[in-house]
Amino acid sequence: MTQAAESIVEVKEAVKRFPAPEGGVVTALDSISLKVQQGQFVTLLGPSGCGKTTLLRTISGFEDLDSGAVLIGGESVLGVPPYRRPVNTVFQNYALFPHLSVSGNVVYGLEVAGIKKTERDHRLKEALERVGLSGFERRKPAQLSGGQQQRVALARAIINQPKLLLLDEPLSALDRNLRQSMQLELKSLQHDLGICFLFVTHDQEEALTMSDQVVVLNQGRIEQIGPPDLLYHKPATRFVAEFIGDSAIFSGRIQNTEASPVLVTEDGLGIPVGRGPKPGDHATLIIRPENLSLAPPNPDDSVSILDAVLEQSVFRGATHQYVCVLPNGTSISATPTGADDEAFSRVSPGDSVQLAFRRNIPHLIIESQ
Amino acid sequence: MKHPWLNRLLSVHGLLFLFFVYAPIIIVVVYSFNSHPVNMMVWKDFTFDWYLSIFGQPTELNEQTLYVESTDQLLAAVKNSLLVAGTTTTFSTLVGTAMALAVYRYYFRLKPFYQGLLFMPMVMPDIVLGIALLVFFVNFSIKLGLMSIIIGHCTFLISYVFIVVSARLAGMDNTLEEASADLGAGPWITFKRVTLPLILPGVVGGALLAFIISMDDLVITYFIAGVDSTTLPVFIYGMLRRGVKPEINAIATLMLVFSFLIASLGLYFRKRS
Repeated sequence: MTQAAESIVEVKEAVKRFPAPEGGVVTALDSISLKVQQGQFVTLLGPSGCGKTTLLRTISGFEDLDSGAVLIGGESVLGVPPYRRPVNTVFQNYALFPHLSVSGNVVYGLEVAGIKKTERDHRLKEALERVGLSGFERRKPAQLSGGQQQRVALARAIINQPKLLLLDEPLSALDRNLRQSMQLELKSLQHDLGICFLFVTHDQEEALTMSDQVVVLNQGRIEQIGPPDLLYHKPATRFVAEFIGDSAIFSGRIQNTEASPVLVTEDGLGIPVGRGPKPGDHATLIIRPENLSLAPPNPDDSVSILDAVLEQSVFRGATHQYVCVLPNGTSISATPTGADDEAFSRVSPGDSVQLAFRRNIPHLIIESQ
Repeated sequence: MKHPWLNRLLSVHGLLFLFFVYAPIIIVVVYSFNSHPVNMMVWKDFTFDWYLSIFGQPTELNEQTLYVESTDQLLAAVKNSLLVAGTTTTFSTLVGTAMALAVYRYYFRLKPFYQGLLFMPMVMPDIVLGIALLVFFVNFSIKLGLMSIIIGHCTFLISYVFIVVSARLAGMDNTLEEASADLGAGPWITFKRVTLPLILPGVVGGALLAFIISMDDLVITYFIAGVDSTTLPVFIYGMLRRGVKPEINAIATLMLVFSFLIASLGLYFRKRS
């Protein structure tokens, strides 16, 4: 198949266990299978301890698998040491060589590979220009700011023209503003170079901003793979919904008829939902704040109504966030826009409101009978 | 500070401490230039004659007093000491560094126990080590001579190098070696271009320490030195037993200068890294 030929990295049913410090075994990778296509920006997203760094290290060669396989460019790299793999890594702490200058660090890979000096110099100049560090050749890493060190680490990796660039939470040490501008720079760098980036992060905002594909990991398992908007609008599991974006989540059993199903939570809250689930199904309803507004005067069947009390409204720049409380005590946020925002802003805290959402928009995960 | 007199008291305390440590050394240096031929604690005149005399040069003092029996013996002792210290330093630096790298890099059963064993020779009393080595050499019919001294020194100097290099390794970021491997460098190139340059100050420091301790050791060497393998400290000790002679001040001063040079070299290397 052509798709298989295009995949730059393929992980097949990878299993990796570590002995836990308190005894027993931690399963870092629990039968993970993954394909990364040529030229994509792929993010491994998950909370700490979910196995994302372990997965990265099995690709770079610093961890061996207990079972399963890793293929780079279609070939198994089982037993191939890190220094013979056509991948390069940007480490979390950058791992710049403190005894070498910026140029010494950047050309390290080329020197080791025995590339001629004239070509080395040419590629050094190009790489430093690309990351915006021309003129810093003679500085030592200790004389650079965190952001500059980050760029050196990036230049040191991309100068080798790897098939795949691995990035292990490279932005986590930077401050917020710098992190945001680096996100965009990384994205355009990846676009310009056309090589595949495999990026590890625990920051969902980072993942959504940069990625073509996001792999959500939890406890050594893949929860969902997909482009950011799919993960946001159609989370496959409750974990993905909770991890990505703000949302109100209701789990319960479907009651009433198939024509007008109602999700009834454990504490007795009934929410009419769109068609699809059968009575008796276990289901999880995810409502994003931007899907909620005040109920129109004469609601029809396309919207569901939730009775609530406005607790407070928070100014958020372009919009307001309205924090409401449902009869069962659950708090739920709404961030309507335009005229909806204006209507909502006339409600005072403490007043009863009727929240409405269009039944076909919020996502419903039907788990099982 | 509330009490200025407390500050002054602290200064006085500091000065007293320095005086306590350095006064005897300064006296040795000063009296190495004293021309009084018999009583070295009575200042007579400034002279270089004691220095000339230890190198066998004819001096005015020589005619009055002939203390250094044989310049040849002294020079042979210096040569022995340099040979022992040089060989011991080379060997213990290589082995101690290799062991530090192994302990840093690998986990194995009883690792803390093993580290404890490596630490032991540093705290073991010299006299115990000396007797133990003597008994060992005699039992295994190893001839006492320069070789036995070299072996004896290595047994505890490896520990010194191990500890100094380990301290340097503990401060090293271990992802640097991974970064090197990631950039395509095999284990040997990684060692040569990343690990060794980073631990070099520790290796040099350990080597200099081993050299000075080997040059300086009396107790252990005294037990395991053969008849014709006298080192400088053993020679000086022998001289002292036959009465304190003014040349000793000159020899001590020269050793002091030598040690000072080596220590400066060590500091220079540390500064540069």
